[in-house]
Amino acid sequence: MEKNDYAGYPGVQSRMEFLKDEKKIDESFYKLIEIKQLTDETFSLKLPKARFPFKAGQHISVGIHGNYQSREYSIYSGIHDENLEILVKEVENGYFTPRLHKLKAGDLVEVHGPFGRFGIGPIAAEKGKFVFIASGTGIAPFRSMIRSYPKMDYTLIHGVRSSKEAYQREEYDPARYVLCTSQDPKGDFQGRLTGYLKKCTFAPATQFYLCGNSNMIFDAVEILQKKGFKREQIHCEVYF
Amino acid sequence: MKNEVNTSIKKSVAFKTLGCRLNQYETDALVTNFDQAGYRLVNLDDSPDVVVVNTCTVTNQSDQKSRTMISQAARKNKQAVVVVTGCMANNFKEKLESQDHITFVVENNRKSAILSLVEAHFSGELLHPDKLPNDVFSYQPVQKSLHTRSAVKIQDGCDNFCTFCIIPMVRGRAVSRPVADVLENVRKTVENGFKEIVITGVNIGRYEEGETRFEDLLAKILEVPGDFRVRISSLEPDGFGDSFVHLFSHPKLMPHLHLCLQSGSEMTLLRMRRMYDVAQFRKTIQQFRARYPDFNFTTDIIVGFPGETEEEFQQTLDAVSEFGFSHVHTFKYSVRNGTRAERMEHQVDEKIKNARSALVRQLSDENRYRYYQSLIGKTQEVLVEKIFKNRASGYGDLYVPVEFQAREIQKNSVYTVRLTGVAGEGEKLFLVGELSNNQFNSSCQKSLRTLPVRHSCQ
Repeated sequence: MEKNDYAGYPGVQSRMEFLKDEKKIDESFYKLIEIKQLTDETFSLKLPKARFPFKAGQHISVGIHGNYQSREYSIYSGIHDENLEILVKEVENGYFTPRLHKLKAGDLVEVHGPFGRFGIGPIAAEKGKFVFIASGTGIAPFRSMIRSYPKMDYTLIHGVRSSKEAYQREEYDPARYVLCTSQDPKGDFQGRLTGYLKKCTFAPATQFYLCGNSNMIFDAVEILQKKGFKREQIHCEVYF
Repeated sequence: MKNEVNTSIKKSVAFKTLGCRLNQYETDALVTNFDQAGYRLVNLDDSPDVVVVNTCTVTNQSDQKSRTMISQAARKNKQAVVVVTGCMANNFKEKLESQDHITFVVENNRKSAILSLVEAHFSGELLHPDKLPNDVFSYQPVQKSLHTRSAVKIQDGCDNFCTFCIIPMVRGRAVSRPVADVLENVRKTVENGFKEIVITGVNIGRYEEGETRFEDLLAKILEVPGDFRVRISSLEPDGFGDSFVHLFSHPKLMPHLHLCLQSGSEMTLLRMRRMYDVAQFRKTIQQFRARYPDFNFTTDIIVGFPGETEEEFQQTLDAVSEFGFSHVHTFKYSVRNGTRAERMEHQVDEKIKNARSALVRQLSDENRYRYYQSLIGKTQEVLVEKIFKNRASGYGDLYVPVEFQAREIQKNSVYTVRLTGVAGEGEKLFLVGELSNNQFNSSCQKSLRTLPVRHSCQ
């Protein structure tokens, strides 16, 4: 029944509004399907298919049923994927991530979003040349972009401490994925990703997408600007 | 402004508002609601039947002020219905609900329905605030206001998730008011006699309804017929281009922006998760000043954000000097529970924050003095807000306070004033002037329609 059917009955109308709110609340809860361990500290959290459209690169806020706190995570899955996924690194002695890690299949997770302007739409994805620069779990929005637009012309530069943090690297075209490892010799480049960036040359019209901690982004933006790229070509998402 | 007296007076209501322009607007809209329902608008000391405290929670200081205000209001009016609303009601809902002296706690998204809650209470109906309609835009145009200018709300909520900010948690996600609704609200507000409209919301630059972006909406608002001028409340410095700059050549749009910089350090801005950098901010300022040399910029600065080094703070001071803000609203960073910055390392000592805050304020005062001095000899269109003895005061188009001798002057009217000097000091600095010679006749009140298209702010 339409809202206007209750015109003149304010009590009934407000109750209907309240029920509408309750429906919204229900829609924001997802039953956890699986926690997939990727390293000792890092896991992906798999939920049912997103009930909202999103742009590859956007983030969501995630809460645990019964807990008032929430955190923001980039969407790790593609726009057409059957499951909504996020990538989480457990913070030692942290409040939220250890609780998230302990969840079991069937537990309820509250999801709001999508949020943010960091992302690529279908038209841009087909036309552009992209360099994705990620530190650690900052790879999450780029996995979403690459899964969403598999024909995209991209290079993914991933900076981690050790090669075991190359989360699900088998999914990426080896010719397009560069692993930079700062604490073991197994990367494609040994050292920080900023060291790799300094040595690279890129086509003038390249669009750069950066995701990771603020120090990496600060340094990487400076390097790219010194190479002559305009700030408008550089898009950033800071992770903490 | 219409001053119709409602003859069916039954009960009285007092309002107290803290925080931002949006809160002030929402209070004004509630004042109109209660007035039209026959309530008398009174002060807290006049034993009102209803007290509405519209709170703020943006900093620790705001929390403290809100708590004090609620206690005072309740203590003075033990028989009154005490309604607490605003952002603190969202942030500390359960804690406030447990306090006996508060009758109702109403969250922001149900604030517009407070009158129906109070009416239900007086008629003996049991209605919980959570059952009120959820609508952040169902405010009617302001008719009776506590201010000379009236705000029009175009947007609510924010999705930016800046690491210091609690607002996305208490105001919810960004939503935009339909264009037709906004324009109708502007029309009615102008019909109600307001000469100045302030476009307001939580993050208005992110207005988006279908294909209509903020700049498009602003252009439509400026085309609404009538003698009125338009101001923009605080704006995030991201996402607008040349067409936005061009809009300020419209005589109705006032040449002032409160553009929130927050820090002059690129590194701090990244930690704050702001959506722009200092270079982009500089470009915006330069675009405006190239076209409108006297354009007035004011800003917000947060000092003592976690990890802010001396060097980073110096970069903020340098930016405040370079950009010549005529006013800096300086905030000492305070931890907000539930934000990312709460969990950041290297929280800055309170003494250091105090010292940094004092330095920014001092610089702001110096900027203001220099800016006001630079306006001497120029004219301003002053909307008169107060007349006391033989002096009139109000704000010029640049949003600078101006005082001048009042002869046959009316409140809520616009006068051309030639600026002759500055008076007062610090944040109380103001410009003094005299009615412009060519305006000084019996009909010196200026019609905004006659204003030329502005190419500079002279």
